[in-house]
Amino acid sequence: MEREVMFTGVGGQGVQIASKALATAAIVEGRQVLLVPRYGGGMRGGMTNAEVTIGDGPLRALPVATAAWSAYAMDPSYWSTIQPNLRPGAVVVVNSSLFTVPVGVHDASVFEVAASDVATDLGSPMSAGFVLLGAFVAVTGLVAVDSVIEAMQQLVPSYRVQHVQANERAIRAGVAEVPALAAPAWAEGAEIG
Amino acid sequence: MTTIDTTSVPDQPSRQVVGFKPDLLQSGDHELCPGCGHPVAWRLVLDVIAELELSNRSILIAGHGCYTQMMKLSDLDSLQCLHGRAPAVATGVKRMVPDAAVFTLQGDGDMVSEGLHEVLHAAARGERVTALLFNNGVFGDTGGHLTATTVIGQRTKTSLEGREAEAHGYPIDVSRLIAQMEGTAYAARGAVNTPGMVARTKRMIRRAVELQMAGAGFTFVEVLTMCPTGWFVPTPAGPEYLEESMMETFGIGELKAPE
Amino acid sequence: MTRRLMQGSQAIAEAAILSGCRFFTGYPMLPFTELLENMARKLPATGGVCINANSEIEAINMALGAAATGARAGTGSCGQGLALMQEGIAELALNELPLVVFNMARGQQDYFQATRGGGWGDYRTITLAPKDVPEAVAHTQLLFDLADRYRTPTILYGDYVIAHSSVGIEVERLDFDPLPAKDWALDGSMSGTGEARQIWTWARGKPNTPGPGPNRAWKTIAEKYEEIARVEPRFEANRTEDAEILVVSFGTTAIFVDRVVDELRAEGVRIGSFRPITLWPFPGEALAEATEGCAQVLVYELNAGQMVDDVRMFAADRSAIRSIGGVSQDNSGMRQGDLLNAEEVRTRVQHAMAQPPAAVPSGRTSS
Repeated sequence: MEREVMFTGVGGQGVQIASKALATAAIVEGRQVLLVPRYGGGMRGGMTNAEVTIGDGPLRALPVATAAWSAYAMDPSYWSTIQPNLRPGAVVVVNSSLFTVPVGVHDASVFEVAASDVATDLGSPMSAGFVLLGAFVAVTGLVAVDSVIEAMQQLVPSYRVQHVQANERAIRAGVAEVPALAAPAWAEGAEIG
Repeated sequence: MTTIDTTSVPDQPSRQVVGFKPDLLQSGDHELCPGCGHPVAWRLVLDVIAELELSNRSILIAGHGCYTQMMKLSDLDSLQCLHGRAPAVATGVKRMVPDAAVFTLQGDGDMVSEGLHEVLHAAARGERVTALLFNNGVFGDTGGHLTATTVIGQRTKTSLEGREAEAHGYPIDVSRLIAQMEGTAYAARGAVNTPGMVARTKRMIRRAVELQMAGAGFTFVEVLTMCPTGWFVPTPAGPEYLEESMMETFGIGELKAPE
Repeated sequence: MTRRLMQGSQAIAEAAILSGCRFFTGYPMLPFTELLENMARKLPATGGVCINANSEIEAINMALGAAATGARAGTGSCGQGLALMQEGIAELALNELPLVVFNMARGQQDYFQATRGGGWGDYRTITLAPKDVPEAVAHTQLLFDLADRYRTPTILYGDYVIAHSSVGIEVERLDFDPLPAKDWALDGSMSGTGEARQIWTWARGKPNTPGPGPNRAWKTIAEKYEEIARVEPRFEANRTEDAEILVVSFGTTAIFVDRVVDELRAEGVRIGSFRPITLWPFPGEALAEATEGCAQVLVYELNAGQMVDDVRMFAADRSAIRSIGGVSQDNSGMRQGDLLNAEEVRTRVQHAMAQPPAAVPSGRTSS
């Protein structure tokens, strides 16, 4: 079984590190992964997307998904670039602090998390992407929360290590914002750590 | 002096009498990082062009970097050119349209890394253009990498522990090189990290453009700008970091000017 | 008719000036140097500008700037210098800017460079390969016209022989159809109007005048080159109607080939010659027609085999093709070597003729 996650946001919201943390967590858990980022020049403000495919065995997935299982949306600015590539009934987790447009996917299971607000309340606005990631893995059980935290610790670059604890708080805060396993990714269901 | 009665709501709603956005900006919507110094510096250039009444004689040649957006948003006849080559392109332009006010806009990666050859030769030839360098010591657009002006101790993604002379060599003071050229009429370095510096830099830019239009020779202004993202510092710390790092290394002032 | 003894470089310079070239730049390199010297001597008096550049990269970018203002501009070098200009040439093409680039080549080994290009993206350059000085003079003027007509960089594939030989010639101005005004050209006059112009390979435009973006812009440019490929191929075919042997060559080499073809015809051999005048767009259909019924298609070029790739693409019978030229450089490294020689051409053609043909087309016998 393979599960696709389409990430979208605006440069600076942490989309790349969030998608990479998910992918890394899946590898840590022994699954197969394909991670395909898409972004342009400029450090902030432009489109930043990524596609993560996670599976039990060798992946058949192509680097461009056209019927993805789920989406993670920090911002609506580039939502139109991934929305057509979601399957009917997709699981969609959005940052409701900024994402206020219709999801527009037939029969989608939509989970709204005010990630930017939660992060700001925690005193670490830059961790909003991790708030949403925590919520995403809690809702789907795609990987364990602890795997994501461990991945985040590995991935935070040397010039951001002072934020590791804040990131962990953000992930856990995101987990608390959503009903656990409300849209499980794996048929047999997985426990969240 | 008229006193305005504030005990009740005014009869007329207030209206904007003076626009804040300069006419030469088609739109103020840019996608640059919070705390980026480029928009501040660019604003000065547009104001100078307008004040010197050069609005319908100006041509801009912009290199590749975050600042390319400034070209896109500006109401100036523009050409986006190859990395490093703007002074060469500007040479061809100014020689064919000598009455135009010709500007080049480059970052430190574009001018001092890739394009050192082109800018030095254009200066040596005394090309009557105004070359602008927005120097933040990083290749910002590609993610924050080492350039020829990254200062010792500065952290970038290709000098994560800070630039060390042993491993990475020394930064280049391009203003000083340009100031040495006989063909250079004006060379100055300013910054936009404090209001005082902003005002001083605007005067430098104005002087440079006046000298271009007087046909005095190659005119050059380097503006130290903030890049908190590329510097790995919090946004509000940008101006102070600029002072401690780039201003400390390079200094501010006119390096060459006519008597 | 007032003919003067003129060196090829001198005649080409005069043709460029007659075409209205107002900006020229280059870096000295044999055998291009004389063209630069002539332009330096002649262009300023006409109000134009000639700059001795400090590198070929600087040259192509200065020329691009001049072209962006609408001026007719030129630059050049030999193939070794054009190698540095590849990015700039691609940039001109993808910005739809006109330019004439003179490759006064050290031989024939720049065919791939001229026709495939070493830049980035989907672009081509209209490339003409004159066989002698008078043709180079005509082609120079034609290229300035084609460059403006199609808004593209163009290449004159000259060589040492053309650059350095002197002939009696009168450089006459050629006439062309009128061209549209260059309203895209930058002169600063649209700045401040709200509709300033912008030249950018990504074609994004400005907020008031959004552009098509790179995808649409580059598709349009590709379609333009397809149109050029349909309309602009040029060639010369000698005695091909009944030829059984066809010799294909380009540039200066072609006059040696034609001499041999004339001799062999006088001896009763059914032989003809074909040369592309436009290296790009290669006159494939005409070549296909010329090779119809030929038992042998002999390609004589002074390189390890470059144009032969294009011959293989279009020849009626690919098994009939044989490369009979080869690498040929004189010891200085700066000009063609021993294979640029009528005796050598003749020897190799006759040697090839004596080989059993790969397949004899029905109804024909080799003489």
